Amino acid sequence: MEETLLLETISQVLFTLLMAPLFSGIMVKLKANVESRKGPSIFQPYFDLIKLFKKEILIPSTSGIFFKIGPYLSFSIYLFISFLIPVLIPTPVIFTASADFLGGALLFSTASFIKALAAFDSGSNYAKLGASRIMSFNFLAEGTLITVFFAVSILTGTNNPYTTIELLTSNPLSDLSLLHLFSLIAFFMLFLFETGKIPLESKGVQELGMIDSSLNFEYSGKLLALNEWGSYMKQYLLGSVLLNVFLFPWGLFSGVPFFLIDIPIMFLKWMILIIIITVIETSLAKLRLFRIIDYLTVAFTFSVLFLILTEVISV
Amino acid sequence: MNMIQSIIFLIASMVAISGFYIQGIEFIIANIRGQSIQSILIASLSFIMGFLERSLDLIILGIMVVILRVILINYFLERTIPKKRKFSVEKYLSVPYLLIVDLIFIVLSVILIYKFVFSSMILRESIAPSNILVFPLITFFQGMFLIASRKSTHTQIIGYVEEENAMILFGIFLLPIPLIIEASIFLDVLALVVISSIIVLEKNEHNPVEDLIG
Repeated sequence: MEETLLLETISQVLFTLLMAPLFSGIMVKLKANVESRKGPSIFQPYFDLIKLFKKEILIPSTSGIFFKIGPYLSFSIYLFISFLIPVLIPTPVIFTASADFLGGALLFSTASFIKALAAFDSGSNYAKLGASRIMSFNFLAEGTLITVFFAVSILTGTNNPYTTIELLTSNPLSDLSLLHLFSLIAFFMLFLFETGKIPLESKGVQELGMIDSSLNFEYSGKLLALNEWGSYMKQYLLGSVLLNVFLFPWGLFSGVPFFLIDIPIMFLKWMILIIIITVIETSLAKLRLFRIIDYLTVAFTFSVLFLILTEVISV
Repeated sequence: MNMIQSIIFLIASMVAISGFYIQGIEFIIANIRGQSIQSILIASLSFIMGFLERSLDLIILGIMVVILRVILINYFLERTIPKKRKFSVEKYLSVPYLLIVDLIFIVLSVILIYKFVFSSMILRESIAPSNILVFPLITFFQGMFLIASRKSTHTQIIGYVEEENAMILFGIFLLPIPLIIEASIFLDVLALVVISSIIVLEKNEHNPVEDLIG
């Protein structure tokens, strides 16, 4: 029993750590193909990370101590979240009991706060601009994240994500139709914002509308690699919560030989999500920067409406 | 909750969400069309309930909603907007602020009224549990808030029509009102929209404290 738990834990954490860049690479490649470009290899994120880990770190003379430890902190927080939420194995693993849904949401918030704080500590005006930009949007994004998790907790009567997954898979589909739909919409809108997808943000250093990548202005070498890797992991973690708790909670197994089936299943689920995201990214135009707050307000409205409806409808 | 009840709940909640859409959009023409969408949803609810209850009244009500609300009111209101100003927006509007205030306002009012007044009411259980009445309430308060929060006369008329929509929704869920009364209410609203569309041509912004300025 102990060994099973250990194996499952190791596979879940390693899968998050190692496969997160791959999904990002596939997303970029598929988008390029849809736009009739050849695009980079799907392993490009790994090549980037290896290259960055080999380079030396340049630290601005104006920066403080937090600039140096920020990337390590945020990376380890994302690594810790992979123990807490069901991103590969549907049954609890080691350390799962240390935090619930709300704890996970707070950890996500802490990580993005640390990233903004570290960018603020760099002393560069551009990075400070990015940090203040992130903070002026995040107050609604965090509200949405926590409200959606609250609502799921009320709906299922538990605030442990693993128990939620079990409840969702054991009940028939007709029991959760409307409430599920609202939470799905709110969480999907939030997912697009948090991972910087096209209606909200287009990535690249030359972009004026960037939000998340502006925090990396002053970083180089290993610190930049850690920040990038953390971003890939964040995308994987949020996407897997979306898939496993909201979109398709079915099809995951636990137990010694069976948990290995989860890896191709998770891969398939992610392919579906990547196709949905590619359709959105290639068909919508980017919102103007000051419109993002409208978008987030709509997501927040949906999540609070969902919270009310949970109370009203579940009779 | 069975399948039909879920569909009724879904459409009723879409009515409430379309209220948020009308509140959040700045384009006046989109406001008017949002009202049409809301009316289509209400008409479809009326048709579903009519088929379930085997009541001809509800089906006629649905047809009337489609003709009067979706087509005629839309036509009269859109005609008052000149072609050059098709994309006219309401200026100085802060959408996040409005949506959040709308949300707080609705949550408070709906919870209070629902808890004290409607929770003890028993509806026709065959169709929907009584808590479906939350949706007409939400729509009603959104109409009120739309009138209070906007300056453009078009939007204020839409707010009034939205309140009427909520009344129809109440009528559909609560108890069958005699068709003749519903029909007269509809014609009343249509007449009001026609008259106010003439006023719109004269003056298309109304501020709340205008009378005090003199």
